[in-house]
Amino acid sequence: MKEGNTYSRRQFMIMTGLACAAVVSSSSLGTLFKTGVAEAAEKPEKENINDVLKKYFGDRKVEMSHVKLKTPIIAENGAVVPITIISDLPMDKDNYVKKIYIFVDENYHPFTASAELSPANGKASLALRIKMRKTSNVRAILETNKGRLYGAQKTVKVTIGGCGG
Amino acid sequence: MAKGIGKIKIRTPRRYKKGDVIPIKALITHPMETGFRKDKKTGKRIPAYYISDVNVFYGGELITQMQWTIAVSANPFMTFYLKADKDAPLKIVWKDIKGKVFEKTVQIKPQ
Repeated sequence: MKEGNTYSRRQFMIMTGLACAAVVSSSSLGTLFKTGVAEAAEKPEKENINDVLKKYFGDRKVEMSHVKLKTPIIAENGAVVPITIISDLPMDKDNYVKKIYIFVDENYHPFTASAELSPANGKASLALRIKMRKTSNVRAILETNKGRLYGAQKTVKVTIGGCGG
Repeated sequence: MAKGIGKIKIRTPRRYKKGDVIPIKALITHPMETGFRKDKKTGKRIPAYYISDVNVFYGGELITQMQWTIAVSANPFMTFYLKADKDAPLKIVWKDIKGKVFEKTVQIKPQ
């Protein structure tokens, strides 16, 4: 009786355990699959950075000089990434930086922000806090009033969960 | 979240001479919703709501014009530079996609 009891209990435990596992896995898989599909339908299509750059600048070449981009190496929170663009380009009356562009390669819409400047700014610099979806290149591109492009880029590692890895 | 939208702080250096290039720091309270986020309770998507245009006027003249997208952080904080060559008001105007306009003026007083 005793032996039979333990045996049946063990069996019962195994059976219920298996059943529970089966139910849980199937249901969680089901919901995962469902939400996965729903999110995929809602998510916008990611724009390719090269297409975006082509749209903004055509075939013009970006010279990687005169611009310094300051970013954190690791951003623990992708929703707030402080970036600073510093440039030593002149801001004279007839030779100045007309526009600053900020792009984040891996965002759905890489174009993040732009600023049209004028000689009254005195300095072609800008600091802003931006959002990043995941680890990605950040590009800053400066356009002068003569149509020349200067840029800088840097990779920022975004860790979700703040483990700092 | 809706509380305090449009609260603005602008900071200028304490002392500067005429002709100095000074940093202007501006902070505005705004949710900057991307439109991708979901309400955890209802499961509905929160519609996009962000500041799209920022204009800076110095002495009535438009000197800086920014275009922002959803990828600018919530409660945007920006720093830009200004050549303080006259005693004039500096006005910053933010415009969001619902058509709300927030503005604040500070006086630039070179010593």
